[in-house]
Amino acid sequence: MTVEEGVFYVIAGATVIGALGVVVARNVVHAALFLILALLAVAGVFLLLAADFLAIVQILIYGGAVTILVLFAMMLTRARDMPQALDGPQRPLAALAAAAFLGTSILAIVSTEWPGETEVITRIPIEDIGEVLFRDWAVPFEVASLVLLVALVGAIILARSEEGE
Amino acid sequence: MIPINHFLVLSAIIFSLGIYGVLARRSAVLILMSVELMLQAAAINFITFAVYLAPGEFRGLIFAIFVITIAAAELGLALAIVLRIYRNKVTANVDEVDMMKW
Amino acid sequence: MGINDAWLLPLLPFAAFAVLLLVGKYLPRRGDWLAIGAIVAAFVLFIPLLADLLDNFDQPGFEELARSGWGWVEFGDFNLRLGFFFDPLAAVMVAVVTFVGSLIFIYSTAYMQGDPRYGWFFAVMSLFVAAMLTLVLADNFLLLYVAWEGVGFCSYLLIGFWWERKSAAEAAKKAFITTRIGDIGLLIGIILLWREAGTFDISEIFRFAEEGGYSTEYLTLAVLLLFAGAVGKSAQFPLHVWLPDAMEGPTPVSALIHAATMVVAGVYLVARTLPLFQLADPVALNVVVAIGLTTVMISATMGLVMTDIKQVIAYSTINSLGLMMVALGAQQVTAAIFYLFVHGFFKALLFLGAGSVIHATDKQEIDDLGGLQDKMPVTALTFGIGVFAMAGIFPLSGFWAKDEILHAAGAHLNWVVLAVLTFSVFLTAIYMARLYILTFAGRPRNEHVYQHAHESPPLITAPLIVLAALSLVVGFWAFDQVGEALGFPGGIGEFVFLVGPESFEFPVLAAVTSSIAALAGIAFVYGLWRRGDEPASLLARTFPTIHKILRNKYYLDDAYQWVVNNVVLLIGGIIAWFDRTIVNDTGVNGTARLGVLTGFQLKFWQTGRLPNYALAIVTGVIVLALVFLSVRA
Repeated sequence: MTVEEGVFYVIAGATVIGALGVVVARNVVHAALFLILALLAVAGVFLLLAADFLAIVQILIYGGAVTILVLFAMMLTRARDMPQALDGPQRPLAALAAAAFLGTSILAIVSTEWPGETEVITRIPIEDIGEVLFRDWAVPFEVASLVLLVALVGAIILARSEEGE
Repeated sequence: MIPINHFLVLSAIIFSLGIYGVLARRSAVLILMSVELMLQAAAINFITFAVYLAPGEFRGLIFAIFVITIAAAELGLALAIVLRIYRNKVTANVDEVDMMKW
Repeated sequence: MGINDAWLLPLLPFAAFAVLLLVGKYLPRRGDWLAIGAIVAAFVLFIPLLADLLDNFDQPGFEELARSGWGWVEFGDFNLRLGFFFDPLAAVMVAVVTFVGSLIFIYSTAYMQGDPRYGWFFAVMSLFVAAMLTLVLADNFLLLYVAWEGVGFCSYLLIGFWWERKSAAEAAKKAFITTRIGDIGLLIGIILLWREAGTFDISEIFRFAEEGGYSTEYLTLAVLLLFAGAVGKSAQFPLHVWLPDAMEGPTPVSALIHAATMVVAGVYLVARTLPLFQLADPVALNVVVAIGLTTVMISATMGLVMTDIKQVIAYSTINSLGLMMVALGAQQVTAAIFYLFVHGFFKALLFLGAGSVIHATDKQEIDDLGGLQDKMPVTALTFGIGVFAMAGIFPLSGFWAKDEILHAAGAHLNWVVLAVLTFSVFLTAIYMARLYILTFAGRPRNEHVYQHAHESPPLITAPLIVLAALSLVVGFWAFDQVGEALGFPGGIGEFVFLVGPESFEFPVLAAVTSSIAALAGIAFVYGLWRRGDEPASLLARTFPTIHKILRNKYYLDDAYQWVVNNVVLLIGGIIAWFDRTIVNDTGVNGTARLGVLTGFQLKFWQTGRLPNYALAIVTGVIVLALVFLSVRA
């Protein structure tokens, strides 16, 4: 096992633990914390993939904004101190479905001949990303910003209190 | 060098855990957190393919950027909707919201 | 006005039918004058056509000249043409239909007077005349078949004219169904002929057959199927059973349709298609002779014992039709058509005479009649002339025609046929004489009826007189001198023929034997009558079993009924069960119920709950992924 692989396994393990925590935690706040762990671990995965720009973006957006958002939503929708099960009645079927999906995916992964070099990671310099983003992908970029605007306005409208409420 | 399959399997695991969470959890917010997990896994996949198999054109990276962007927007809107439902029904549990039943 | 205007002939009565159907009840006298006018006009129009025909029928290029009409439906090989062809054979038929028909229409104004459906009667009769004329003038088989069905339909309507009487409705149904059996054969035969020749046109099919376009077996089959149609329509054995029952219809109907015209459509068909019969295997013609002969014998024997005057005449009609078929089987078109021509007159005369009796006495059974010649002299006299004509007594028309047929049988068939025919002449004389004697002569059997009997009004007796006069003289058309005097190239043999004109030769042997047979028959009956007896009672006493068999019409009706009950209705029942249970209950209702049930069961999947829907989506994705994986592998 090389150093790289070892690092990979550590970060991967953190991600999986985080993910597990999100889906099986008994306490919503614990689940939120586990989510933060998972998101940050994914940033680490991005670093392993030599996508440094994306790692930063991940930390900023997810680790920052999304986490706050989730915590706020959780606070605003907490049931009044009633201990209730967090898991629905579909649990066994859900486990089955998830396992089936995992099995299918792994089957697909190992049985596919990936075209190209499967061992080498090429680092993509950020200057190139910027160039391409604002040149070839300019239209999707603008559209994405529009989407954000719409989401912002929409969320405000949906979430604000009506008069008399 | 880490073989490509490692990352792909990792993302598959994350995605499957996300599926489990979506299907098993009752609280809408928890479900949305699981959805975020799934989106993360997808992003990992995109970047993996871009970096390993097509480094010359890095569409996967660009796509991952957009995935993150859109995921954030979607999360915001979804949580706004959940708040709305909570205000009407005083519950955020998805199995108690069955107004579209037969 | 030339022979290519022949299409006008059926058009006039058809127009009358249309008008009567739509506005008949608003016209004065319900429009009977319109119907009579149409058919008389058709006869009047026929005369210049006949003149033109006489000028042209033996010239080259006649065929083209004689055609008229329009195309109607055409695609590919299928060509329904309203085509008409006016040749001597058709001319003879048209003459009978329009002339005898006109007399019968006039007669009907008195006979059907006061009937609530008076207007409808004339409407359907006009339609019938139109269809019959189309049938004989048709130049292609498809139009002929359409007209064939048309006359059958009119016959059904008219037999069941008084449908409130159950026996009439049953008789109409029986007629239609029995002839239907023959009609199917006819249709299949026509289709077979068309299939190879690619056309329905009769002349073209003849040419095609002459050039050997059909194999002998194929042509024989087709021709026998055509003959099946003739068997049904012309009441030959075994499809003769409908004609006696058809007497339920009004007497003018019996006279026109079931004596002079429709029933001879089968004879016309065989005469028209005889060239095909000649090209087919000889077995076809043998079948024609055999069936004709059987028909002759069973009808003659059954006529002996019947007691309804119309029924006796009906059996004599079947007898006559059998004779015509035998003549055709001997390939003697001239003899058969000559008999058809004269038969139209004297048979109509007999029926109209019977109708006169019914009109006067309201009775049809011999038991209620008798001694009427004092009270109804004109009817009795004309009926007597008809009886002698039917029996074939010299010098009436029936004599000449019947002798031609006997001569043909002797010369072209074999002595067995001749012997059987001569015997039938004997029997015919017996039952016709018996009919006359029991109805008109002797003492009345029912005093009440006798007291009230009176001669019929002039509109009834005048047609009788005309027909009687004609029955006396039309037989002389056989003679070349008579024909030439009338403008024909000679006697009927020079006008209507199969291969070449035939000049008339007096058939001495046939004349002598038939006269002896006929006179013997009449003498026999007369002798019995003088002793206060009559042939049917004599038969009942001496051979009671035979009498019983004859009274029950050889039990053929019972046999048919048995088949209907046990075979037809059984199959029908099975098919009905199939339709009811499998097609309707299971197929139609079942499918509907299945839809409802499935919907009802499936609606529980709409729980309204998000997690359930999400699970469904994930399941779908997994399944699709597996499918793609397996396809790719």
